[in-house]
Amino acid sequence: MTHLTSPDRRSSHHAPTGWLDPRGRRLSAIVFVLNRLSGLFIILYLYLHLVVLSLLAGGAASWDGFVAFARSPIVLALDVVLIAGLLLHGLNGIRVALVGVGLVERERALFVALLVVGAVLLAIATIRVFGA
Amino acid sequence: MTELADATTLPVRVLRVRRTPRSGGGGRWSTFDVPAPSPRTTILDALTWARRHLDPTLDVRHSCFHASCGTCAMRVNGREVLACVTPLEGLPDRPVVVEPLRGLDIVSDLVVDLEAVYDALDAVSPPLQRADETASAALCADGEPTRFEDCLECGACVSACPIAAYDAAYAGPPALAAAWRVAQAPRGADVDAALDVADGDQGAWRCHLAFECTAACPVDARPAQAIMRLRGALLRRHIEDRLRRRAGAAHVAEVSP
Amino acid sequence: MTGPGTTLPPLPRVAGDPPRVDRPAPAAHRRAELGAHDRSWAWQVVSGALVLVLVSVHMVAQHFVVPGGLRDFAAVVEWLSNPVVIGVELAFLTTVLWHALLGLRAVLFDFGLSPRAERRLTRFLAAVWVLTVGYGLWLMWVIVAQA
Repeated sequence: MTHLTSPDRRSSHHAPTGWLDPRGRRLSAIVFVLNRLSGLFIILYLYLHLVVLSLLAGGAASWDGFVAFARSPIVLALDVVLIAGLLLHGLNGIRVALVGVGLVERERALFVALLVVGAVLLAIATIRVFGA
Repeated sequence: MTELADATTLPVRVLRVRRTPRSGGGGRWSTFDVPAPSPRTTILDALTWARRHLDPTLDVRHSCFHASCGTCAMRVNGREVLACVTPLEGLPDRPVVVEPLRGLDIVSDLVVDLEAVYDALDAVSPPLQRADETASAALCADGEPTRFEDCLECGACVSACPIAAYDAAYAGPPALAAAWRVAQAPRGADVDAALDVADGDQGAWRCHLAFECTAACPVDARPAQAIMRLRGALLRRHIEDRLRRRAGAAHVAEVSP
Repeated sequence: MTGPGTTLPPLPRVAGDPPRVDRPAPAAHRRAELGAHDRSWAWQVVSGALVLVLVSVHMVAQHFVVPGGLRDFAAVVEWLSNPVVIGVELAFLTTVLWHALLGLRAVLFDFGLSPRAERRLTRFLAAVWVLTVGYGLWLMWVIVAQA
């Protein structure tokens, strides 16, 4: 029988965003997707941050106005979201690095431990951000 | 499965099956109402009943009916399973969605082409030596028998992997788990060739630790754990290599499991 | 591909079997183009570990010790007059960018690019790194010059 190279047959074969498909996925795979998404958003934030920093070139006149704005509750809430993203990405990175070279076999235990650490750090950060 | 005189009085399950014609062209969905006479009625029972009584053009492939050949691997409600041992009873009341495996060329309906899996395995080692079936514990470093002998080469792990299912260039869980098995117990196979595939840019380092392969494996062959151990062994090999090169010794061909 | 004494005879073809399609082993084909081993995963881990340290230092020293989380302009200028601070911030910028662009490269490579496209993308991202670090250097110089 003839096959196999028409695009319809290979429809799932090359989907560049295939890794985004959450259907049927379990925890580790979802964490992998979140790791990528958080990484991409952090890159966007990084460049936003760098652009905002250019206000410093305008001296106190432009910078101090921004500082006042950045203390508003909405921005602070977004800061907490950012920190959550950084914690997710960073702590999951630790898991990937340790499990990914076979240094840690008990992947589940490590995941739970890092989750707890992340929750604690996020709580501390939230208190610090809103308490200041 | 015995023919039943009057199937209409039995509980009925609805199957939504993904169809792709042999001649090419786009896919579509077929809906079948199939009887489920017993709590042990499986997806495969339902599919073969549907083929026999409702639509003889439905293509489904199977062989042993008891999870030892791997032929009937497919996706049920999005998850990779062996259809012959997946009972309808445990599934939610909604129509059961039945689709072929991801990441492999569809021949027709639920039948996929596993040549890509076999090719990837061949790149790692020759076909497993079937004359030597048992994995002696003495061959394995940590005293736990490697389960790769149990690998059915069914393709479920390829379909489950977020990388392998969408990128045919990636060596994928079956080949990489095989590479680990070869590294642990060569039995005359070419370890260097296997490790070369594993260490290459389409090898073990493309794994992103989703662990879907192990979750999907119907026989608990644990390919993800094999890949992690393989990566650890490759790393140790590199470090030993560098140390030996400093000491002026030759390139290390083997891997300490 | 086979070691000594392990070649098994090929399975006999049954009449009516479709002809076997000989497809080139994908790994070998791509390896010839790209060079044998892409070590970016290792660099990702190394840069990631550095970023963990540097981002923690940055978050604490830049934001958490300051009431309100942000320094006003005068405080920024004073803060950056310390060469250690400049060094750490520069290290942070270069390392986090390196990690970020390597990660972006990995995600884009999953699009299944040709080897040539991959080389171009790598060069492009390297240029992005250089330009962004350059911007950071310029900005720091501008601030320090205000003192």
